[in-house]
Amino acid sequence: MTPFLTAFFSGTAQGAIYALVSLGLVLVWRSAGVVNFAQMGQAMFTTYIASQLIQNNYSYWSAFLIALISGAALGALVDLGLMRPLTSRKNSQLLNSQSMRTTIPVIASLGILGVLKALAGIFWAGEERGFPSPVAPNAIKIGDTSLAITGFDLFVIGTVFLTLVLTTIFFTKTGMGLAMRASALNPEVTRLSGIKVGSVRTLGWAISGIASSLAGLLVTPRTNLSPNTLDLLLIIGFTAAVVGGLSSLAGSVLGGFILGYVISFVNVYSAPENVFIAILAFLLLALFLRPQGILGSKEVRSV
Amino acid sequence: MSKVKTHKVIGLRSTLLSLFLFLFFILLSNQFEPYNQSQLANIAMLLIAVLSITLLTGASGQISLGQGAIMAVGGYSSALLVTRLGLSMWLAFILAIFVSALFGLFLGLAAARLSGPYLAGTTLVMALAIPSIAVRFETFFSGDVGLSVDYGMPPEWLTKLIGEVSIEEWSLYVVLPFTAVALFAVLNLSNTRIGRTWRAVRDNEVAASLAGINIGRTKVIVFVCASGLAGLAGALYGFRGLVAPSVYPTDLSLTLLTAAVIGGLRSIGGAIFGTFVIVFLPDLIEKVTNNLAIPETVGIYLPALAIGLLLLLTVILNPRGAAGALEHLRHKKKH
Repeated sequence: MTPFLTAFFSGTAQGAIYALVSLGLVLVWRSAGVVNFAQMGQAMFTTYIASQLIQNNYSYWSAFLIALISGAALGALVDLGLMRPLTSRKNSQLLNSQSMRTTIPVIASLGILGVLKALAGIFWAGEERGFPSPVAPNAIKIGDTSLAITGFDLFVIGTVFLTLVLTTIFFTKTGMGLAMRASALNPEVTRLSGIKVGSVRTLGWAISGIASSLAGLLVTPRTNLSPNTLDLLLIIGFTAAVVGGLSSLAGSVLGGFILGYVISFVNVYSAPENVFIAILAFLLLALFLRPQGILGSKEVRSV
Repeated sequence: MSKVKTHKVIGLRSTLLSLFLFLFFILLSNQFEPYNQSQLANIAMLLIAVLSITLLTGASGQISLGQGAIMAVGGYSSALLVTRLGLSMWLAFILAIFVSALFGLFLGLAAARLSGPYLAGTTLVMALAIPSIAVRFETFFSGDVGLSVDYGMPPEWLTKLIGEVSIEEWSLYVVLPFTAVALFAVLNLSNTRIGRTWRAVRDNEVAASLAGINIGRTKVIVFVCASGLAGLAGALYGFRGLVAPSVYPTDLSLTLLTAAVIGGLRSIGGAIFGTFVIVFLPDLIEKVTNNLAIPETVGIYLPALAIGLLLLLTVILNPRGAAGALEHLRHKKKH
């Protein structure tokens, strides 16, 4: 197997996971105008829940399902319990200034991240532990030559593909999806046409919670699980979202795959130590060349 | 145009405040045993970094989740100057300010194009990437092992003047002058023309630019000033013994931000209060858990939990922090 194909296959599998993370970030950004830095903290927490269930002899798939449901619940809880009261507060003087309105939710999400990490440490002792995968991580063989792609990689790619198809159907074919797109575009007009913008927003947080929770379940068989393992995934997902365009769902998925290839090719052709620097360089390059992202639209600021 | 109330650039009040803080720390350290003296020195150096966030976020409305990385820039530049070129520690500290300010210039040029969440994410990526550079170019930066540097021994004239000086006291004496000067600079900066421009940009960019303020240039200047401060803090922080990637983790950046938020992003008194909290709260919690016989595996996560909850509570109850809450109370009394 040539290094190129190795990098390509592992880039596709990794990119699929990054696409999920980035999709989760963009969903919340579009519906609530917040970049949720706690997202992978939430995913870490739900993956621990799944791990605990599997330890208690639940089957992989029931743990999988419960993790996704708790991901949705956690996302909705963050919105209802924290973000909604924060952004609806009008009287606070600090939130009167333009920049503070975007800064305070970021700080709040960092607070959630800190609390979730500490709680995971308290509940599950914080040591690194493995996480099972439903498919054996052996390389797939055709005849005698083994491909650089494992059965688990195919499982990851398949699951993400299915998720993306379902998301697309949800946004284009269902009324709720239409409502979400409308309220992202213009909340005021959407509210006037009788749609509950608040609930639509909470739904955005919940779906984002599912997507990131799924990413956590798919990445931990390879990286193991500890309170800090998913931090890197957030950084990569954020970069992917910026590269693709924070305002575009399709762009975020595209950005995820691009990042998957970039990281995987740096890993194969250069050295793993260079990955962080490559991410930073790539992010800065993207911000300079095309700040609105590949598929994003230019923001028009009204006075 | 109505007359705007302005302060003199070098105010008497700020001079007195800085001197007061200086004396307060020294008097406090005399009451403490060595461990708490070194904690006090930690407060004095971290305060400089928290002040950089007060400037950046409180005064000009930009957010940085990567002040720890800029501290690393200051730490490495000073440590390299001392170990490789044999410069004196004091000169290295001053030069570290300039190196990190230069770094801040580049960062600012990128940041001027970014706002809110973009800036937060980019600086977070930076917080992770910068320390990894030290591992990548191992021969130059000594990788994970890091560079050993320290404050040295107290000079003879000092021991002659005030008698025996312990290592902990000496570290406090090295740091305090820098802290006082930094405090003095920040106090005055916010009352100058530049400080007022920053606030205008923070509150409404469009209005500020219509008033003739160059938004881009203003943001770059803020980043240069804040990075200089953070770099100085990082240099002082590293000279406690070691400059290595593990000394400047991502969590450090977030802890500094927490200190600034708890105390109140717009208040310098709040920055001092917040820094005391983040340094002494873990000690306090340890004392309580020891008394309550809480197992150590749980105990080590309690400080992080407390600080996280404190951050959330601050944001929910009063985003202006302790200083804002105090002001609110005072306001209520008047009416």
